[in-house]
Amino acid sequence: MNRRITTAITAVAALGLVVSACSTAAASPTPSSGASPSAVASAAPSASAAPSASVGGSITVWTMEDSKAFTTLASQFTSATGIQVQVDQIPWANVNDKLTTAVASGNGPDVVQTGLTLLPAFESAGALLDLGPQLAAHPGLASANFLDGLSSDKLSWNGKILSVPWIADTRVLFYRTDILAKAGITAPPTTWTEFHADAAKLVASGSSKYGLYIPQWDQALPLEFAWEAGGNVVDSNGKVTFDTPAFRTAADFYLSFYKDKLVPTASDFDQLQGFISGAAPMVISGPYLAGSIKQQAPQLDGKWSVAVLPKDLSSTSSLQGSNMAVWSTSKNVDASLKFLEYLDQPATQLQWYKLTGELPTVKAALADSSMTSDPLVNVYGQQLQDANLLPLVANWNQIATDLLNSLNSIALQGADETTTLSKLNETVAGLQK
Amino acid sequence: MTTRSAVAAYREGEPPARRRRRRANVTPYLFVGPAFLALMVFGVLPIVVAAVVSLTNLDISGLANRANIHFVGLDNYARLFADGAFWVALGNTITFVAIGVPSIIVVSLAAAIGLNQSDSRFFHALRTFYFLPAITAIVAISLIWGYLYNSQFGLLNYLLSLGGLPPVGWLTDPFIAKLSVAFVGIWRATGLDIVIFLAALQSIPRDYYEAAAIDGAGDIRRIFSITIPLLRFAIFFVTITTLINWMQFFDEPYVLTAGGPIHATTSISLYIFQEGFQFNQFGFASAASLVLFVIIVSVTAAQLRLRRSSDV
Amino acid sequence: MSSRRPSLGLAVVGVLLTAGALATAFPFVWMITTSLKPEQESVAYPPTLLPTTISLDGYIALFRDLDFGTYLMNTIVVVLIGFVGMLLVAMAGYAFAKFRFRGRDRMFLLVLATMMIPIQVTMIPTYLILNSLKLTNTLLGIALPTLVSAFNLFLFRQFMSTIPDDLLEAARLDGASEWRILRTIVLPLSRPILAVQGVLTFIAGWNSFLWPLIVANDQNKYTLSVGVALLNKQLTIDPPLQMAAASVMVIPLVLVFVVVQRHIVAGFTMSGLK
Repeated sequence: MNRRITTAITAVAALGLVVSACSTAAASPTPSSGASPSAVASAAPSASAAPSASVGGSITVWTMEDSKAFTTLASQFTSATGIQVQVDQIPWANVNDKLTTAVASGNGPDVVQTGLTLLPAFESAGALLDLGPQLAAHPGLASANFLDGLSSDKLSWNGKILSVPWIADTRVLFYRTDILAKAGITAPPTTWTEFHADAAKLVASGSSKYGLYIPQWDQALPLEFAWEAGGNVVDSNGKVTFDTPAFRTAADFYLSFYKDKLVPTASDFDQLQGFISGAAPMVISGPYLAGSIKQQAPQLDGKWSVAVLPKDLSSTSSLQGSNMAVWSTSKNVDASLKFLEYLDQPATQLQWYKLTGELPTVKAALADSSMTSDPLVNVYGQQLQDANLLPLVANWNQIATDLLNSLNSIALQGADETTTLSKLNETVAGLQK
Repeated sequence: MTTRSAVAAYREGEPPARRRRRRANVTPYLFVGPAFLALMVFGVLPIVVAAVVSLTNLDISGLANRANIHFVGLDNYARLFADGAFWVALGNTITFVAIGVPSIIVVSLAAAIGLNQSDSRFFHALRTFYFLPAITAIVAISLIWGYLYNSQFGLLNYLLSLGGLPPVGWLTDPFIAKLSVAFVGIWRATGLDIVIFLAALQSIPRDYYEAAAIDGAGDIRRIFSITIPLLRFAIFFVTITTLINWMQFFDEPYVLTAGGPIHATTSISLYIFQEGFQFNQFGFASAASLVLFVIIVSVTAAQLRLRRSSDV
Repeated sequence: MSSRRPSLGLAVVGVLLTAGALATAFPFVWMITTSLKPEQESVAYPPTLLPTTISLDGYIALFRDLDFGTYLMNTIVVVLIGFVGMLLVAMAGYAFAKFRFRGRDRMFLLVLATMMIPIQVTMIPTYLILNSLKLTNTLLGIALPTLVSAFNLFLFRQFMSTIPDDLLEAARLDGASEWRILRTIVLPLSRPILAVQGVLTFIAGWNSFLWPLIVANDQNKYTLSVGVALLNKQLTIDPPLQMAAASVMVIPLVLVFVVVQRHIVAGFTMSGLK
């Protein structure tokens, strides 16, 4: 038995050596080797102006992005400044595990990517360095360079600036031009009234099973409607509140689709499948969906497009994506900030977009002709000009869960809207005492 | 002669085996030591820590800065018992245990006995098939079963539509979702238990079967009067561990339904994760974990007491 | 089984078991066929059972994007450390089964208790302990929290309790030391359960995810499971890639099981002692 197990292990190890030989040939250079930049078309972005400022040394970066792509940027930075960068990738689903153990032990990186939905957790942990005092010395990180929705007052947490913008994501209206045409709709809806009417027309004419798909897990959508109705979800004290007329209007609009049976009620309805099959030819989603549609349904080319969200008083959408931050106990603050400046140079932002399809947050990059010439990106860029962050409060995720549970219980279980919403308001107030 | 020297003289005259046995009293501690130490450090110590934490308001800001931690007494427990969702989760867990545990024991025992009937290569191959679910990663399982079960675009409803049957809300109907999720759990768990029973079946001497055959007992009779009684030690193991595992049922509801639709498949473990750990509310999560721990300990202790007579 | 029964009963059993096996393995088959489909077909509705065109894109992307060699080496080390743990557990299981010593039952209850708490509770305390031992970011630190498992200890204890006491007593009277008894009598008699435990230890080490993720600060200390998880994007799913990853992860486990299973069902009996 021992011999057989030894043989099996040897076989696995041998197989592993063969495969690793094949895969390392294709693998990127190790981050700290200072290897030459990979062959990417755009010019290598410049490092910070004063040559005497490059200090050498090294930093560690935690990111959820593909480490090979990220290392491409990091290597260029190293060639330009001599600062070594070690890139460690973390799976998206486990960021919280890494955060809690790092906070508990003090073993953190220097630079950390903070997805905007996770930013409140990082901030309430006190894990991030206040960059406010540092910004003057690093003009590349000045608030004015970035989208208005990410200005420093919007990112401020108890008066501190704990992260700087990096990449952007937003939500726009996806629609099937062919299916809308079948129902006699020649242009996407631009107002709330048109939106509802078009959805109803699609169902009534039999062109599709549903008018649109509302994901039951989407925290941003009710807020997008609230902002469009001219309201704020954060009051003057910085606390989240849904106890406003604008929010009530938004909730009514959200629920009207369910009332008129224009959206699916199944909790496992798949937005991509729904769009591809035509069962739900309209959906509010992000650029990631466009990528999936192109890859998994190339036969739909030319039969779908995106548009800015339909407007009530405005067509405000949500601003998602990731920021970058410096760990509070980092010993390499200056080098880290140089790296952040590098990441936020317009040329680097454009290079990253080419590598991964993730949108820049720097206004100069978004205005670049390479971005505006792509019709989809043009719409994203337009939408980004009118997009808000989800509230940066400590227990936002809990509040959002309660919000969705309330809306879903009204929509799917017939709960009474007024009582459910007032109970929600009580809960939300209680969570923020 | 003093007592001491009398004892010494007595010991001098001891046969070597008994002296060795006295030294051997240290042996079990030596054998048990390393494993026990590891389990205490990584298994029991955290439970003690959790008990202490459950009396505080520890959250992520408290992890970073001790000054943020405050003693709150039994507040976390009060909040737990006042939460309706907790009781729903408790009820769901009882349902899962009632469906899952007997099914697993019966199915794996039956399959193992069946697979043991023949030594042919065909039966050998069958064993590997049964073991496959146990070794497949949970991510793959969630993708596969999520796809099979999908109410709009899934394979099962597609097959039903081919037969002219209406679609089933496998994961969207509050009642059926419980069964679907439990089924995946059963599908996943039987593989390992079948293998354990197969190993256990090897310890039954062939003579017993032959003697019974000579006495005229048929196949079925032999299974019930010889095989099953002699597998008591393995049945006991499978029952206890399956019960402990299913009281902590987590993976399948988490990946298939995230506890939905609207808490219908939220088990206690999933409730603890969603209400506690996901939001870094460690004090609350520890309290809920302790409550679950006490429940599991009680159920297991009751089972052990029932078994004490058989001394297995 | 004895030979007097004609094969009808056996054939019925065989048919039932085959049907069960097919049902059990069907999702697994689906996993493999999906991994061989082009991405477009993998999400097509109505679904196709077999790929209309075989595409290796999933596997190609997997080996291209995954640092397979490094992760494989780390995983093998973790598995080997796990085998050391298995021997420690075998020793302990034997002691609990066959010795009477003070505190035995209470200690065993404590062992069982470690199975009754969710892993999330143990995560932070365990990490802090490893941190104080300066074992974070090491392969030993990765393997240590799961080195010993109560499940395995319990399993050994159950099986070893069936070893006849007379056998052990006879050896003791012959002057054999306890270590000798363990090595030459107990372990050989436990071949089926050692085989099962070997497979379980291999599986646990091979699939190890949480501790490698948390304890490793450097990406080059990750194991295969963590490396595979890195392929998951935040919001999108690539089915052939995911299924290719799952298929590749499962193959060594199947091989190990196939090789070892003849020892599980060794036809080994302990007759002739009563």
